[in-house]
Amino acid sequence: MSERQLPEGFQDLEPYLEWSLATDRERSIKRQTSPMTKITAFYHAIVPRMDEILAHLEQYPLEQVPADAQSLFYLTLSLAKIAPAVEMYGEPVPEGLDALRLENIDIYPTRG
Amino acid sequence: MPTQTNGATDGKWHARYPELGTGPVPIEPYISPEYFEKEREYIFRKVWLNVGRVEQIPEPGDYFVKDLAVCRTSIIIVRGHDGRVHAFHNMCSHRGNPVVWNAKGACKMFTCRYHSWTYGLDGALRHIPDEKNFYGIKKDAYGLTPVAVDTWEGFIFINVDPRPKETLREYLGAVGESFEGYPFAEMATGCSTWEIDVNANWKVCKDAFQEVYHIFSLHHKSTGAAFASTSNPYLNVHELALFGPHARISVPANLDWTPTPVEALARRYGMLALQKQGSSSQGMPAGVNPTGSPDWSFSGLIYFPNMCLFVADGGIIMHTMWPLSENRTHWEARTYFPKAKTLAHKFSQEYSRATFVDGVLVEDGGTFEKTQSMLASGAKKHVILGDEELLIRHHHKVTEQFFNA
Repeated sequence: MSERQLPEGFQDLEPYLEWSLATDRERSIKRQTSPMTKITAFYHAIVPRMDEILAHLEQYPLEQVPADAQSLFYLTLSLAKIAPAVEMYGEPVPEGLDALRLENIDIYPTRG
Repeated sequence: MPTQTNGATDGKWHARYPELGTGPVPIEPYISPEYFEKEREYIFRKVWLNVGRVEQIPEPGDYFVKDLAVCRTSIIIVRGHDGRVHAFHNMCSHRGNPVVWNAKGACKMFTCRYHSWTYGLDGALRHIPDEKNFYGIKKDAYGLTPVAVDTWEGFIFINVDPRPKETLREYLGAVGESFEGYPFAEMATGCSTWEIDVNANWKVCKDAFQEVYHIFSLHHKSTGAAFASTSNPYLNVHELALFGPHARISVPANLDWTPTPVEALARRYGMLALQKQGSSSQGMPAGVNPTGSPDWSFSGLIYFPNMCLFVADGGIIMHTMWPLSENRTHWEARTYFPKAKTLAHKFSQEYSRATFVDGVLVEDGGTFEKTQSMLASGAKKHVILGDEELLIRHHHKVTEQFFNA
């Protein structure tokens, strides 16, 4: 994790690189297993930077994303994942079904 | 107008369908193994069932497999060399092994893993290894057994009845027509699916999506306030309408609701699957926002028996409930929205998916197993339905009609 770098101008987010996770399942587990203090700290660190982050990410075609921008992008996906915890629930996950029981499946063709 | 003992309801929807009555509904259909067997024989083995979309098999040779325990079979759905969608029971003519073992793929022909009997995409038996070892076999007679298949707006339906008594279009009827022209193909370029086996009767799952009365309560921390408003605190719907075995529901949004900071960000880069405000039904067919309401959020085709198809301005949400037994269900939840064009658009969709998982899968899904265990307790024999829960009552009535047909 520590060798991953963020694009120039986003170094202030490096303390939060633990949230730069490639898969939906990793992000779900991270959300479920993190205390609210950590979730909230990440939220408040990244939300004020989102305009700049999304503007930076918008410049890359989907097939040509450099590794540092990809790491930054994964941070935004973690924000998408934890935003409801902060903005709606005040706890890491809502009361209900255990989301880790859900199997996220790609039913469309996956060609090499 | 139906009256209830407290005289408090105006019976708006039930008044339009007096044949449904207004009384309590038995719990037996949710817990009885015998009732489940009747549902299997009189409904699931007789009617058209949605198993997927054409985007799952765009090219000849693309296939997927649906294991339909409720129909007691597994079905291969494949795009043939003729460009058409075909369906077959996934059963080798030799000794019954399923010919395809994986969930999806692409091939030129199907080769049974057991003894390598080989079938064309048209189901014809093409090759038997060591054929002379078999007695006077006529390959023409031993193709894969076909299953009736048809498509509607890109959705693939099968019917395991060898002689379906109606076409898919006849079965869909007027409610199907009322959704024709919605941009299904455009919306369905991207798809996310979540699947789970829950310990609940399939109707416990379906009932959660046949009414929105629960939104102000169960979803009060998440989306409740985005739908329910001070003028409509219990989210009374714009429309409930019945069409033969099927139904339509149309749901308002709270136009005074203020999006959270991250939702506001996400909405800048794309429409959300469950967009509450800012939805437009302009140019949409008559079944989408049928009341032409300015505070429209989404409309749903509640398809009998087991599909709830919700369409919105930004995308599609679909639930399919596959019964496994009287108290187990394989629940498939899908979002369809256009494939993201940029990373920011992907972020927007990811937020939409996250709120869908929290609000619909976790919060709604969280009730299923709890409810089932109490329905099975025997403590009560009936449940009570309000006027806004008309579609649940209708489902039970339609089931009776199938049983008595």
